[in-house]
Amino acid sequence: MLSDITIGQYYKGDSLVHKMDARAKIIFTVLFVVMIFLCKNFLSLALVGLFVLLSMILCGVPFKVFFKSLKPIVPVVIFTAILNIFYVSGGSWEIPLFLGLKITEKGVSTAIFMAVRIVFLIIASSILTYTTVPTMLTDAIEKLLSPLKIFKIPVHTLAMMMTLALRFIPTLIEEIEKITNAQKARGADFESGKFMDRVKAVVPILIPLFVSSFRRAYELSFAMSCRCYTGGEGRTRMKQMKLHLRDGAGLLFFALGITGVVLINNYFGAVI
Amino acid sequence: MSNIILSTKNLNYLYSKGTSSQIHAIRDINVQIEKGELVGIIGHTGSGKSTLIQHFNGLLKGTSGVVELEGKDIWADKSKIRNVRFRVGVCFQYPEYQLFEETVYKDIAFGPKNMKLSDEEIDRRVRESLRFVGLDESYMEKSPFDLSGGEKRRVAIAGVMAMKPEVLILDEPSAGLDPKGRETILQMIMAYRKTTGSTVLVVSHSMEDISKISSKVLVMNESHLAYYDTVDGVFSHAESLKNMGLNIPQLTELFLKLKEKGYDVSTDIYTMEKAKDELLVLLKGGDKNAQ
Repeated sequence: MLSDITIGQYYKGDSLVHKMDARAKIIFTVLFVVMIFLCKNFLSLALVGLFVLLSMILCGVPFKVFFKSLKPIVPVVIFTAILNIFYVSGGSWEIPLFLGLKITEKGVSTAIFMAVRIVFLIIASSILTYTTVPTMLTDAIEKLLSPLKIFKIPVHTLAMMMTLALRFIPTLIEEIEKITNAQKARGADFESGKFMDRVKAVVPILIPLFVSSFRRAYELSFAMSCRCYTGGEGRTRMKQMKLHLRDGAGLLFFALGITGVVLINNYFGAVI
Repeated sequence: MSNIILSTKNLNYLYSKGTSSQIHAIRDINVQIEKGELVGIIGHTGSGKSTLIQHFNGLLKGTSGVVELEGKDIWADKSKIRNVRFRVGVCFQYPEYQLFEETVYKDIAFGPKNMKLSDEEIDRRVRESLRFVGLDESYMEKSPFDLSGGEKRRVAIAGVMAMKPEVLILDEPSAGLDPKGRETILQMIMAYRKTTGSTVLVVSHSMEDISKISSKVLVMNESHLAYYDTVDGVFSHAESLKNMGLNIPQLTELFLKLKEKGYDVSTDIYTMEKAKDELLVLLKGGDKNAQ
């Protein structure tokens, strides 16, 4: 059950997007988000859709995987859409309903826009995490945030903490499953009972989990000091990050996209 | 009528069924375990041992096939599966990591409490199981987190024993302990079986340990059940065991090598006694040849 979560997971591959520089990919994701929020009519939304589709094809991750990560978001999308239908009013037609509620043209188009935008946002950020190894991602964040060092922000430490946290998620999931099985074997009941009973039933899992997390943290810190880790000062990298032609091509891709969206917006006017 | 306590019929289990990473963890397992046996379960890493024992107490449900406890399908009534877990007690690998209570007493009492037993009965069982694992009552009020590794292990095993399961299953109970600790655990298991008369299944990597304590041996190989037989019966297949990558007891190995060199010895030997007798016979015979 826990291992079904695919958001934020790496999907092994060898595509163009996989090979891109992680720093570039983070910036591209930001540009993607900008593009998604810039579009103001259905034509520009369709253009963004085309770009989303192209990126999905280019990154070589099967569509099935994307759908799996979208599944848990469906209720949120539907909820947002329904709220928008009733909260936004205006436009050329409206259908009055009971209790003074009414469905308007603008309400419907806003709802559609919102739903599509959320889906696009998730796909865009999924492309980043599917194609980038977590350690590369944190390395890139460290590099991108390094100007903040001027303000005495410990960028390296923060990035290292993120790397370690990401690294231990699968380990902890495995551990939770093991401990749960062991307590079930002793007759622990997680499925039935009142709410408070269920909360209490988690204690036999949480305590061993905390204990072993602390043990792991100690062991890890010893192992790191044994390998002379002293923080970011003077630390070099095995894999140097270099920008390639493909990263430039990516920039061009998004520059075209954003220009296209802005032009269409100006030409055909805004719907929302 | 029959004294079969635990049996499986054509039991299969697939991990991640229907995905590209599907693994057939156990295939067509048919086994009948008699009451009161001490069964040693051996097999290579990934041979399906741990998957198999999780079927015995209903933590996993076979993709196909059935598990029967005293002739009744354990999944006949889904809501009664907890009762199966009280009757078939499983203690997993490195059980010390499952301790969570403030005191040893409370931790051992966790199982019996889930069984909704009376306080007096719980108290009796906690004391009894502490005795089984060779810890005195001064441990009862200690925090389990202050104990040594071996002691923690014993407290965790006591936690399963306290449920008085008809079948006790231990997954690698002596893994990671020093020789003395291993010996203590093995003695403990044998004493427990003798006193309670319950059926015990022990998973282990060590052929030496298995041959020392078991009355029957179950060999798993590449998700199949390779053998389920008496210790003698299984070790008579010494060569095929070696092909499965299982290290046979050193004594058996020695006799296999002797046989290879042309000496007329039997190869189903795994205890010191038998080895001594066999060697004496051989030496006497050897003398004759020399004369």
